[in-house]
Amino acid sequence: MSGYQPTNGATGTGTTQAQPVVDERSRAVTYSCGDCDQEVQLKRGEPIRCRNCGHRVLYKQRTNRMVQFEAR
Amino acid sequence: MPVPSAEELTKRKRVEVGIETVSNQASTDFPGHWPGESHEWDIEHFEKKFDIRFHKYHPHDAEFSLVGIDTSVANAFRRIMLAEIPTLAIETVFINQNTSIVQDEVLAHRLGLIPLQGSKEGLDWMRWYHQPTEDDPGSGSPSDYNCVQLHLDVKCEWQEDGLKRVAQGETDPDRLYTGHNVYARDIVYTPTGKQHDIFDKEPIKPVHPQILIAKLRPKQEITLMMHAVKGVGQDHAKFSPVATASYRLLPTIDITKPIVGADAKKFARCFPRKVIALEEVTAQDVQEHPELKGQEGEAKAVVADPMSDTVSRECLRHAEFKAKVKLGRVRDHFIFRVESTGQRDSDELFLESVRLLKVKCQRIKRGLNEMMR
Amino acid sequence: MPGHTLEESLLQSAVRVEDPASIDGEEIDVAVDRDRLSGATDTAASFQFDGEDHTLGNALRYIIMKNPDVEFCGYSIPHPSEAKMNLRIQTYDGVSVHAVLEKGLDDLMAMCGVVEKKFQLARDEFVANRMEH
Repeated sequence: MSGYQPTNGATGTGTTQAQPVVDERSRAVTYSCGDCDQEVQLKRGEPIRCRNCGHRVLYKQRTNRMVQFEAR
Repeated sequence: MPVPSAEELTKRKRVEVGIETVSNQASTDFPGHWPGESHEWDIEHFEKKFDIRFHKYHPHDAEFSLVGIDTSVANAFRRIMLAEIPTLAIETVFINQNTSIVQDEVLAHRLGLIPLQGSKEGLDWMRWYHQPTEDDPGSGSPSDYNCVQLHLDVKCEWQEDGLKRVAQGETDPDRLYTGHNVYARDIVYTPTGKQHDIFDKEPIKPVHPQILIAKLRPKQEITLMMHAVKGVGQDHAKFSPVATASYRLLPTIDITKPIVGADAKKFARCFPRKVIALEEVTAQDVQEHPELKGQEGEAKAVVADPMSDTVSRECLRHAEFKAKVKLGRVRDHFIFRVESTGQRDSDELFLESVRLLKVKCQRIKRGLNEMMR
Repeated sequence: MPGHTLEESLLQSAVRVEDPASIDGEEIDVAVDRDRLSGATDTAASFQFDGEDHTLGNALRYIIMKNPDVEFCGYSIPHPSEAKMNLRIQTYDGVSVHAVLEKGLDDLMAMCGVVEKKFQLARDEFVANRMEH
């Protein structure tokens, strides 16, 4: 059963539903390089390095999932 | 039945403003307070004595006076205008992407405060939206008759020569980026269902298109959808249709002994500019006030426009004339100022508040009848 | 009197009669007249209004006080966090409290009607005068 987070009103919430990852091997997540700001796609197990500058700190990008807020 | 003199009547209506105290504020026009007089409620007497005068009339800013009404009712009108007239405002924000530096909840809060306008008939046609409750998250019922859908999609990019210009030292964002400022005019209204017909002529849009919502830099974007619903100011201040609605009582300035010469000029400077005028002492004045003998032609202080006074009581701080002047306010003369946020016109707002008070009474009366059965 | 007789009651307790029909619920809380000699018990009552505050309370109190049959009229809000308003009316000489309350509501409605009419007249006149200049 997927996890469900009930809304808690006051400061806004994320209404999300965790889904089991479909195919771990083919999913590539895009990260942002810390230096050159380029988008880097990495699959599971790949070494964590920027393609351009070789910087080893990558930041995860904001989720594309919809988040709901009360305008209060 | 003794009829009070005109002087007595004005004295009863005068709130006395002293240097540190205010007295005679409570209204006394109740039966039994003044022996021998009847202050029974009489609608004809009220209709005769009640008056409304307009001072300013702009669509979103009206100033008018209500004369001859009691404080409790005038205040009821003011409170209803602030808190109980329904208005449309953004209530829920569904954010798909926000990579700006304005946090999600701050952005949602700002969007809620943007005043919206639309066709008046459309706004009256809309029904109330009931939020889904904690126990039953599916009970919300957004539909075309109670919900208005709005979108905001902005992305900031570099201009064509932007990077080159930066290298040359250019810092003006207008010359470097496109879409770097998100304004209220970027909010797009998408009518659903019956709204296509109802909001055809005057679609829903922000009252002030130039409100700045957020600032972006290249590669930042905001993609969100909003639901605007009807609400009242009691629930949240964003639903209040007035920027503010306030009233003040008409100030009075009584010069009991004449103020002449340099004192008069100083006296005039104690008040805002138009309030005190300077006239010349005439022979008739000397006849009425023998102490003015020999001062004909000198400047004399005369009250010209008490309504512009702000009652700062500055004149009571100076020994030269603090004994010669009496400040006060007329208890039943209310100078209303209604500043609308733009969804409805100011005069419509006041009329709506009067009608709402009537509706409240009707509702109570119906409940009373049900109870009596 | 809806559903109870207080003359026989020896307890000086408040009796609550609830009105389920209206959203702005009202309950009658009839205080027993302590002076047994006067006898009339529907000349003193407290009403509780749900969902109302000073807006209606003060205005209604003013209008009811203008009624010469009213000995006492006052309103209070028991706690600011709850939207409840209590209104107490005591009348002289056997005048029914409900009649007084109903008259008060009618008078307030009539007053609103006069204000509305005069406002529209004053506004139209002001706009017309402005158009001429």
